[in-house]
Amino acid sequence: MNVIECKGLTKAYGRRQAIRNLSFTIEENKITGLIGRNGAGKTTLLKVIAGFFRKTSGEVHVFSYQPFNNLKVSANMIFIDDNITPPTALNLQELLESAASFYNNFDMELAKRLFDYFSFHPKQTHQSLSKGMKSTFNVIVGLAARCPLTIFDEPTTGMDSAVRRDFYRALLKDYIEHPRTIIISSHLLDEMDDMLEDILLMKEGQVLLHSSVLDLQEYAIAVSGNKQVISNWTKTKEVLYKKDIGVGNTYVVVRNELNELDKQQAHIEGLEISPVSIDDLSVHLTSNDKGGIDDVFTRD
Amino acid sequence: MSLPEINTWRLVRKQHAFKLKSYAGMYTSLMAIQVIGMLFSLGGVSSGGVSGDEHSIEFRTYSSNVVIAFTFLWAFISSILITTRAYRNDDFTFVTNRLTSNLSNLLFLLSASVIAGITSIMTGNVNKVIAYFFYESDYIIATDITFQGLLMGTFVTILYIFAFAACGYLVGTIVQFHKLFIVVIPTLIIGSMFIGTNTHDTSLLLVWIMDTYGKETSILLFVLKMIGTVGLLFLLSITLSNRMEVKQ
Repeated sequence: MNVIECKGLTKAYGRRQAIRNLSFTIEENKITGLIGRNGAGKTTLLKVIAGFFRKTSGEVHVFSYQPFNNLKVSANMIFIDDNITPPTALNLQELLESAASFYNNFDMELAKRLFDYFSFHPKQTHQSLSKGMKSTFNVIVGLAARCPLTIFDEPTTGMDSAVRRDFYRALLKDYIEHPRTIIISSHLLDEMDDMLEDILLMKEGQVLLHSSVLDLQEYAIAVSGNKQVISNWTKTKEVLYKKDIGVGNTYVVVRNELNELDKQQAHIEGLEISPVSIDDLSVHLTSNDKGGIDDVFTRD
Repeated sequence: MSLPEINTWRLVRKQHAFKLKSYAGMYTSLMAIQVIGMLFSLGGVSSGGVSGDEHSIEFRTYSSNVVIAFTFLWAFISSILITTRAYRNDDFTFVTNRLTSNLSNLLFLLSASVIAGITSIMTGNVNKVIAYFFYESDYIIATDITFQGLLMGTFVTILYIFAFAACGYLVGTIVQFHKLFIVVIPTLIIGSMFIGTNTHDTSLLLVWIMDTYGKETSILLFVLKMIGTVGLLFLLSITLSNRMEVKQ
């Protein structure tokens, strides 16, 4: 059963298309990482799914309903980002109680335990919290709500690394106990890749890649060695990224379609083969064609 | 995967309960504006005098009229306030759609109007008590108000306040629809007040409003007119805002 189905989905702000002709499906009870550079259209996509934005064209179905203005979708979905500004008149305790009254599956006991663990005070107000604490509180609500579709849009903004690690762990533990569909958009892929099952990679409003983390780990391979040798060796291969290191040496990332012969040949010619982390891979895949930041500083 | 059915009306009531708590700022501003209204009425809401060769008469009246007028203003402005982005986005933190959000706003404004109506009527008595104890006067002419009359007065005041709230809510919604209306609406309202002033003493629009809503003597007709008007205003607001997106 697919929780989210998009077909040719487009969302435009005036003339600018934030997402273009997107098609993908997300199955029930999977944790999907939504990865992409700034401005790739991640937040726009998530807000269309959440029913906050109206699609411009194409199809989007959440639990097989159109999400915009749909109560069922709203009741079974929670959207957590760092822009949540709850009413100023309520303190944290009252906010938790309000959330519990709206979401049927809300687990107050879990919320309370997390609340104490992260040393919140019930009488504090949301706007008196620091940025990282705000994010932490929002995430507690998002976890405890136990919605069949849980969307975290950059949930870890401002959190320190210890809290981030705790959050990933809490998310994973609660997910194992209560499986549900979770989408997390984040830049910090290297911290979460052991938690995610699928990755949806976006670039310039389009889906670049949608595959499981395991496949992605095998997707590409890095080779480094003599520049001349490498350029000969990569002639028949799809080069994803290329960088000169030192004098006469090159580091390339190629699509992993090597057979044993390729590997042996590389070995004979003194090339070094290493795996590519999916974090690096996603950066390579989503980089623009303008070269690296180094090129900005290279004047010739 | 089957999802449980959502009862719209139950959700509206939940949101209403949530708003009664979370819009606490409204009550504070209501109190503030009524206190200011009372300060303005301390010396009497209207006064006058007649003097002859041997006598001079000076009279002052004490009532809640000023406070009620201030409360109208409060209702209008508060309703605009809850249509603004920050308040609308509050709803979308939890379960909602645009219809339930509007309906619970309507219920909230009705509750707030009831509170505001009762308190503003009561300030009239406070004024009279203050006048009795603190001002020197030779005669006090008190108008007898029966309990029934008081109830009726409160009820009518509540309806008026709610009508102002509905106007404010529509204005706020239109402005959210497009920012240009911040300029257009005041222009239209002020401009329309000049229509008819070249041939008559007062504006045709104001005369019509006064005749329709202010001079109705049948309570039943009055209630029907008010409910009809308020209903129409909210219907317009709901229709307009039903396609609005949630932006931060």
